[in-house]
Amino acid sequence: MKSLLTRLGLAAALLLGSVSGVRAADPKLVVAFLPKSKGNAYFISCKAGADKAAKELGIELLFDGPTDSNAAKQNEIVENWITLGVDAIAVAAENKEGISTALRKAQKQGIKVVTYDADSMPDARSFFVNQATPEGIGQTLMDEAARLLKAEGEFAMITASLTAANQREWQKHIEARLKEKYPKMKLVAVRPCDDLKDKAQSEATALMSANPNLKLIMAICSPGVPGAAEAVKQAGKTGKVKVVGLGLPNENKRYVHEGVTDSVILWNTGDLGYLTIHAAVSLAKGTLKPGAKSYTAGKLGSFTIAGDNILLGKPFIFNKGNIDQFNF
Amino acid sequence: MNRYFRELSVVGALGAVLIAMAVFAPAFYQPQPLLSLLTREAPTLVVACGMALVIICRQIDISVGSMFSVVSVCAGLLAARGWPLLLVLPVAMLLGALLGAFNGFLVAGLRLPSIVVTLATMVALRQGLNMVRQGEFVNMPDAVQWFGLSQSAGQWLMVAIALALLVALGLAMRHVAAGRFVYAVGTDAEAARLAGIQPQLVTFLVFVFIGAFTGLAAMMNIVQSPQVQPLSGMGLELKVIAAVVVGGVAISGGRGNLWGAFAGLLLLACVAPALTHLHIEAYWEKAIQGGIILLAVVADGVRSRKQN
Repeated sequence: MKSLLTRLGLAAALLLGSVSGVRAADPKLVVAFLPKSKGNAYFISCKAGADKAAKELGIELLFDGPTDSNAAKQNEIVENWITLGVDAIAVAAENKEGISTALRKAQKQGIKVVTYDADSMPDARSFFVNQATPEGIGQTLMDEAARLLKAEGEFAMITASLTAANQREWQKHIEARLKEKYPKMKLVAVRPCDDLKDKAQSEATALMSANPNLKLIMAICSPGVPGAAEAVKQAGKTGKVKVVGLGLPNENKRYVHEGVTDSVILWNTGDLGYLTIHAAVSLAKGTLKPGAKSYTAGKLGSFTIAGDNILLGKPFIFNKGNIDQFNF
Repeated sequence: MNRYFRELSVVGALGAVLIAMAVFAPAFYQPQPLLSLLTREAPTLVVACGMALVIICRQIDISVGSMFSVVSVCAGLLAARGWPLLLVLPVAMLLGALLGAFNGFLVAGLRLPSIVVTLATMVALRQGLNMVRQGEFVNMPDAVQWFGLSQSAGQWLMVAIALALLVALGLAMRHVAAGRFVYAVGTDAEAARLAGIQPQLVTFLVFVFIGAFTGLAAMMNIVQSPQVQPLSGMGLELKVIAAVVVGGVAISGGRGNLWGAFAGLLLLACVAPALTHLHIEAYWEKAIQGGIILLAVVADGVRSRKQN
C-alpha cells in the first residue's frame, strides 16, 4: 500500500514536472536514473555522484527504481519514462535480457540509453559505463596483497563459490598477476563461503590453523571480507595475518579502524554515478557519439572508451585514511 | 543387532575422522581454532535439536533458515538501538516462537502438509527481509559481542548453552511423558489419539519449540560478531535436516534421538575444516557431505526393509 502511494505520488510529480517543463519550453534536459533497487545504500551513493553531475550540467534528474531487486518493476518504470518522454535513461540492469526490450523501445522513440553497474544487451544501449573490468579488479587485489606482504609469503583466498562466473573470472586474473609478477608469493588454498559472512569466518579460522605460515587472506566476495576479519581478530592474529578484499566500506569500517583489515577494494560509486550522468547528457546533446575513443566528464577528466564500454578505470582502494568519507 | 546401531555407526565414523585428523593433520587440534569451530556450530546444534523434535513428530520445517535471518536482523536492530541483551534475548525467542506458532497453526490447526507450509513461510520471510533490508548489514555496538564477556568466556558460554539444551532435551525425550508423546504421534498419530494424546497439540507445540530454539540460536550467532548479515542462516535448514537424518532420526517419524543428531552434526561440520587441513580442494566438500547423507538414508532404507 505504501509503495503504491509513493509510486502514485512519484508519477504525479513526474507528470507535473514534465508538463511544466513543456509549458515553459524549458530546454532543460531530463535524464532518468534507474538503480537495481532504490533503497540500496550502494545505489544511493551512486545517486549522490549523479546529483552532483546534474547540478553541474543544469539538467533535471529523475530517480526511481524497484524497492526490491525486481526485473519486471524495472521494465514498468522504463515504460513510464518513455511515456513521459525523457531525454536520456541510465540503467543498472537487474536482468540483462529482460530490460532490453523496453530499452530498445526507448531508443526507437529517440531516447538515449546508457547502462551502468550491470549491462543490458549491447544493442539496447549506446554505451555501458563499466565500473571495473575483471582484469582491473584482479590486478588491484593482487597488487595490494603484494604491497602488504612486500611480495613474499603465503596467502589464501575466500570466494563466494567455486563456480560463480564473476568469481572465477576475478580469480583467473589474480592468479595470472601472481604468476607474472610475484614469484615469491604462494596461493595455498581457495575456499568458498557461499556468500555468507558466518561461513567465511569458519573458513578463515580453519585456513589459519591449517596453514601456520599464512600471511594474508584475500576475500573476493563482499561478505567474505568482514567474515575473514572477525576470524583473524578472534584468533588474536591481527596484523600477523592481513586481510584484503573486495567489499563495501560500511561492512568493513570497524575492522579497518581496528587494523585487522588493511584495504577494501571497490570502485568509487559516486564517480560511477557522476560519469554515467555526464555520458547520458553528452549523448542526448550529441557531443558523445558511438565510436568515440575517449570521453571527458567534467571535473573527473578523461576516460578511456573500449568499444562501447566507458571505463571508470582502476578500482578504488578504501583504507584507514579515506574509508569514513564513504557511506554505503 | 543393537538397537542403537545407527547412532553408534555415526559416532564410529566421527571417531574415525577425528583419529585420521590426529594422524595426518595434528594442527587440527589447536585449542583456539577448535573452540571457535565448536562455537560456530553451537547455534546450529540448537536448531538441530528443534529439527529432531519436528522430524520425530513426522513433520518437517524448512523455514528455519529464514526464521533465523529474520530474528537475527530484528534482534540486531534492537541491540543496535541500545536495548540490553538480556531483554533482546527473550524477545528474540518469543519472535521465533511466534513464527513457529504460525507454521504450527497452519500444519496442526488447518492440517496442511508441513513441507508446503514451511516452504511458503521460508520464501515469504526471506523475500520480505530482502525487501526491507536490501542486504544491508546491521552494525551493532561492540559491547554486544559475547554478551559483554571476554572472548573465551563467551565462546564457552555458547558451547555450554547448546550442550545444556541438548542434554536436557535428550533426557526429556526419553524420560518425560511429553517427550514420549512426540514419538507416539510420529509413529502413529491415530494410535496416539486413541491413547489419549492430542496429536494436533503435540504437532503445534513442536513447531513452537523449533521456532523458539531458532530464536535462541539466532541470538547465539549474532553475539559472535559485531555485525548481522541479513543472509545469515541461508541454507541452515539443509544443514540441520542433514545432521538429524545422518544422526539416525527417521524422516518417516517416530524413531531416532538427539544424541545421534548431535553426532551427525559434528560429523558434517568436520568435513570443511578437515579438507582445509588436509589441503584437499574445496570441490569435494559438498560431494562428501552429500555422500554421507546418502549413506545414512540407504542405511535407514535397508534397516526398515529388514524389519518388514
